Amino acid sequence: MDEFVKFINSGVLAPFKRWGTKWSLWPVHLVTACCGAEFAHAFACGYDGERIGALSYGIARQTNLIIVEGAITRKMAKVLRITWEQMPDPKFVIVMGACGLNGGIFWNGYNLVKPSEVVPVDFFIPGCPPTPEALLRGIRQLQKKLETGDAESSADFYDLKLKKGKLPKFLPKSPKKISVNPCIVIDRRREVDWETGKKLLESFKVLKVENMVITAKNRIALRVSADRIREVASELRKMGFDHVKSVNVIDLPAEGKFIVEYHISSYSIREFMPVILNLFAEIPRAKPEVDSLSDIFPSADYMEREMQDLFGVVFRGNPWKGKFLLAPDTPENPLRKDFKLQEEVYVGD
Amino acid sequence: MREVAIDVPVEPPKELESLFLPVPKEYVEEAYKKDEFLVLVGPQHSGSGHMRLIVRVKGDVIQEVIPDPGYVHRAIEKLAENRLYIQNIPLVERPAIMDSANLNLGYVRAIEDAMEIEVPDRAKYLRTILAELCRIGTHLYDAAILSVFLGHTTGFMYPFGIRELICEALVKMTGARFTSSFIIPGGVRRDVEKETLAWIYSATFAIERRLKSFERIFIKNPTVIARLKEVGVLSKKEAIEFGVVGPFLRASGVEYDARKVEPYEAYDRVDWDIVVADEGDSYSRLLVRANEIGQSLKIIRQCITDIPEGKVISDQICEGNDIRGEFFDKLADIVLPTGEYTTITEAGRGSVIFTIVSDGESNVPYRLRIVTPGWLYLRGFVESLKGERLADLQAIYGSFGYFPPEADR
Repeated sequence: MDEFVKFINSGVLAPFKRWGTKWSLWPVHLVTACCGAEFAHAFACGYDGERIGALSYGIARQTNLIIVEGAITRKMAKVLRITWEQMPDPKFVIVMGACGLNGGIFWNGYNLVKPSEVVPVDFFIPGCPPTPEALLRGIRQLQKKLETGDAESSADFYDLKLKKGKLPKFLPKSPKKISVNPCIVIDRRREVDWETGKKLLESFKVLKVENMVITAKNRIALRVSADRIREVASELRKMGFDHVKSVNVIDLPAEGKFIVEYHISSYSIREFMPVILNLFAEIPRAKPEVDSLSDIFPSADYMEREMQDLFGVVFRGNPWKGKFLLAPDTPENPLRKDFKLQEEVYVGD
Repeated sequence: MREVAIDVPVEPPKELESLFLPVPKEYVEEAYKKDEFLVLVGPQHSGSGHMRLIVRVKGDVIQEVIPDPGYVHRAIEKLAENRLYIQNIPLVERPAIMDSANLNLGYVRAIEDAMEIEVPDRAKYLRTILAELCRIGTHLYDAAILSVFLGHTTGFMYPFGIRELICEALVKMTGARFTSSFIIPGGVRRDVEKETLAWIYSATFAIERRLKSFERIFIKNPTVIARLKEVGVLSKKEAIEFGVVGPFLRASGVEYDARKVEPYEAYDRVDWDIVVADEGDSYSRLLVRANEIGQSLKIIRQCITDIPEGKVISDQICEGNDIRGEFFDKLADIVLPTGEYTTITEAGRGSVIFTIVSDGESNVPYRLRIVTPGWLYLRGFVESLKGERLADLQAIYGSFGYFPPEADR
């Protein structure tokens, strides 16, 4: 078998094989992120990648090329490796987009992996997103590599010459100003001209919530204690508020609490359509547990699971256990304030 | 008919651990004992947008579907807490780059709501044009991906041919094919020339004409109708219960559009209709979006005809009419007053909700919550698969235009 492979790669027929590979670089369809939109453009009628012998193909088993389109997350990295291993020899990888190169706009995110650490990469195409022309140029470079045997860059970069000497005395400061002692008020009253809202507040008096405030036009904040959140939610459901638009958790480490918010609205009653109620409760940070509303509002289910992943808040009654959105090896509770990301450095010129 | 029980020991495959299934081992064993199978669809599959669906089938009828999203979770919410308000503008576009203007608009409107900035009329009209161009682009993209799912390659080429016109219009207006970051707090980055608007006006007719041939070749194609009609039905009650959004909600008979119920920008000054269908099946989801393209073209034409002269950036931000050159000086240090600001915007695939929580002292958001349409209708999508044939999964997947980068953020 080895002799056969050797013969194919360097024997009499080797030039034919190289020629065949060169004009049939069919990339396997592995859309990893948003660069897939430009990838699709490159193979549609505007740019027509097929004329240089490349056409997106469904199955990894019959392809020689992966085009990694943008960001690779921890979950996707495993898939990328498995797909790459399934490809027959020779294997080529082209990475498209700034995220795949060095993280791009997401460079300090907690869930990103560099593709070059997962699979050996032949060519990088920078850009966010790169244009279809750039992508086709990347494929042309790979074809040239097959022809001549060595990979060259299609762009010229000249080296930056750094002056030797002392560091400047004052480095530019970060423009960010982050409050040391943040004070968060969810239900800040704002004066708005909204008659329906005042009527709604009247009708909400039966709910006996701790505080209810009009925060803007069409927005009402309802503060409840954590043990009454289910009761109030089912009352609202009976009033005609039938779905949850967003579930949100705000972390307040200084005060030792989480704020859990449900943005509730209605599709079935026309007057309530623009209204978004913010039903929120405070729970202690030491014991982050709150009753789930997923049986009252099935639309809240997946967002509760997401918050369970990101903040470690337990929604009692939600049947899902374990990770939903994050990979098994992502850091625990990444959206809590005590999980810090790498800071950018500002250097002097 | 006589039933014969054959005692064959059925063992779940050994590779279960290496597949990182998010379901417990007992669930898999239970399914195998009941003479059912778990079929893993994805993450690498021949359509677009990669997520895993764990499909439990009996025969070839789908009993239950467990979604396994998060393959494109890029931590946008966390990153936003560490960047300036204006640095977040390119970041919030990245979930769905073909729909960048709508996501951008939602975020910027939340800032404007907090700072109580009045946007000049000309900027409002320009924003509307940009948002509608992106909406057409998104609908065409989804129609093209649906045809890939159905194996109809010609149906893929037509919308992407039309999309080139949209990209050209965006390049002429903003300078970028996809991620324009053109909408900024207080207005837009720069004024758009008369000639460009005239070009877009004539492009709308070109798009309309090309759409007719797409309609002939794909939308009214009997094969497509046979694949999509009465497949993946989501009734009105279900759609409301599972919180489905956008064109998919309207396809189930709910007359809800954020542009009508809470009008923003110039939507209350132009004449257009909400497109609604009653069937709630895959075909009506396609039809609603195809007709929405027509409405969007109508909005764009009215905007270009009615657009007033004047400034494109608010006086509260900048005295002149051009923010170029002083962008960072004017906008880097904006601090929102304490409180929570929520906006709802109708993006191409449905409502997108931005919630900014500010502490009143920092120039970065304390918490930015983005809920994208993909994430909201995932539940409805999964429920609509139940009781269908396994072979129809692709058609339903494509008809929802599910785009994982948008859903996972």
